[in-house]
Amino acid sequence: MRSENGLLDAAKRRCDQPPDGQDAVGSAPVRIMRNLGLLCVFAGAFGLTAHGAEISDLGALHGRVVYLDFWASWCAPCRQSFPWMEGMKKQYEAKGLTIIAVNLDQERAEADAFLRRFHPGFEIKFDPQGLWAARFGVQGMPTSILIDRHGVARFTHIGFRPNDGSTYERQLEQLLAEP
Amino acid sequence: MIGCVIALSTVFCSACSSLGVKPWQRELLSRQDMRLDGNGLDDAIDDHVYFSKEASSGGRSFAGGGCGCN
Amino acid sequence: MQLEADTAGLRRRLIAASCALLSAATARSEETSVPEKLGRLLENWQIQSAVAYYHEDGRIQAIEPVVSAARETSDGGKIDLNFTFDSLSGSSPNGASPSRAAQTFASPSAKSFDAARHTYTVGPGRLPVDPNYSDARAAGGANWTFNLSRLTQATVGGKFSYEDDFYSATVNASIDHSFNDKNTTVSLGVSSENDFLQPIGGAPVPLSDYTLFEKGGHKSKRGEGLLLGLTQVMTRSWLTQANVSLDRFSGYLNDPYKIISVIDGTGNPVSYVYENRPDSRTRRSAYLENRVAWQRSSVALSLRYMTDTWGVRSDTAQVRLRWWNAARDQYLEPSVRWYRQSAADFYRPWIVNNEAQGPDASADSRLAAFHALTYGVKYGIKLNDRLGWFAREGTEFNLRLEYYQQTIQDGPAGPGALSGLNLYPGLKAILFQFGFSY
Repeated sequence: MRSENGLLDAAKRRCDQPPDGQDAVGSAPVRIMRNLGLLCVFAGAFGLTAHGAEISDLGALHGRVVYLDFWASWCAPCRQSFPWMEGMKKQYEAKGLTIIAVNLDQERAEADAFLRRFHPGFEIKFDPQGLWAARFGVQGMPTSILIDRHGVARFTHIGFRPNDGSTYERQLEQLLAEP
Repeated sequence: MIGCVIALSTVFCSACSSLGVKPWQRELLSRQDMRLDGNGLDDAIDDHVYFSKEASSGGRSFAGGGCGCN
Repeated sequence: MQLEADTAGLRRRLIAASCALLSAATARSEETSVPEKLGRLLENWQIQSAVAYYHEDGRIQAIEPVVSAARETSDGGKIDLNFTFDSLSGSSPNGASPSRAAQTFASPSAKSFDAARHTYTVGPGRLPVDPNYSDARAAGGANWTFNLSRLTQATVGGKFSYEDDFYSATVNASIDHSFNDKNTTVSLGVSSENDFLQPIGGAPVPLSDYTLFEKGGHKSKRGEGLLLGLTQVMTRSWLTQANVSLDRFSGYLNDPYKIISVIDGTGNPVSYVYENRPDSRTRRSAYLENRVAWQRSSVALSLRYMTDTWGVRSDTAQVRLRWWNAARDQYLEPSVRWYRQSAADFYRPWIVNNEAQGPDASADSRLAAFHALTYGVKYGIKLNDRLGWFAREGTEFNLRLEYYQQTIQDGPAGPGALSGLNLYPGLKAILFQFGFSY
């Protein structure tokens, strides 16, 4: 039984090594994330609340490719990305994809009304204070972060335009193909 | 007048970085009645009436504000 | 053997028949109904439409349907198209002043006073208006917005307007750049307009005697505009916009149908002349708008100051208040607009015949000094939960009513016979509009 701190230390050690196949600097998003020390923040203390329960079991997520999406009910492109995310879940969940959509509505009632209408099948987390949005450096709505099976954030995207879906899907396929 | 405009904008802009909200705090700004083009057709119809009956017209533009998405 | 083969054949035929039935049934369920087809066609388009009915007390009335359609493009940009048609009829002031005696005028299409159906008579003390005014206009525009980067957008577009005596075409382009987490947006816009006028009866020789019917030919004018804007998010609930703009028009800026009364010292009209305005006009304006929101309401306050080389200065202030109900599916929006302008340098409600005259003179009340008030109220209802399959999130039905009143104050008092007459009756109008957005 590993303690949370143990997880954090182990994750930090893993994070300090550059990912295989990339140079020490890495791609721009990785660079940004590393500079902000966020790679390890994710790997370690994933303290968002889901219906009041803290998620601290990294074991469930390690080894899976994670699509971490920051959204809000008032953001039109976010609404458009939901059917696409549903499609991705159906297609790639069995291959190791986990989608986590972090809601940033200040009014929980607005988020609930939206979820009642759209019934997404993937996991929803609530961050009404925007603490995680701030720590992950969200610069625009929506923001999606593609994290590989080792907990390293490899791609960060700001916005969801109609022809972005295919680009993001290719990147997911790339990460899912990696061991 | 151009000098005035530039001076004002510089002052305004240097104060700009302390003003504003985080990208996830735009729920009120994204509301239809808070968008600069939120009154769409009404503005167009009114502008046409005022253009026909008065000596002034225009002045508005619609960029900025809103949800700031994408 | 024979029987078995026949049974097998029969079974095959039965299976084939039932498959055919099944596929027919599937096809029927896939067959889309007309409303579904319509829904799919409009899927990516946001449509706004309205019909406005405008009625001036004793003057012009107009009906104006407007429609606009907007669609997001695959790179996150936008295309928007709009079209409007308006039909006007009624009485339009011709620029002459009231008189103690009846006055007879010829309609613009007349070539002389002889043909009776082209003239009209105005009673004593009444403001001369052409009762046969009618006009139809079709106008439209399109704009395409595309992203140069996540923070920079450019828009190009154009619009046109068509009437039987006036055609106009404008092209515009603008660029917007945002920074500070998209809290600040600066924009720069330019536009270029070209107008072609073919006045009914021909363009009159300026300041010529009206009874000489010296008319002929067509005219043109052009305009260029520049707009600089700054939009700033102040707080979560407060947005500010400030713009400055510069426009310059040149060419034929006269109204070819407007005349001016020439009176003698006793105030009686001796003749009428066609107006003349300068052939250039440069206008500068500054605009400031603030919008503040609360949970269930918002207020929009806008101010505009304008000055031009014709000597007109104007101030405009408008307040709009929006109240939403608890479910935020209905709203009420009262508004008030206050407007004031000073007269153009060459505005002359009449010309005294023995006085020295400048090159420009116009009696058009649109160039007079006046103030105007508009009171309006709008009601809107969101229909998404009420119309089932048809409605989308933006589906709305709305009604708007406005009352506009123009008052000309401190107009110069008429000499002699003109004193005691109501020379500046002003204008009262209502606008009723109903709209549907999808």
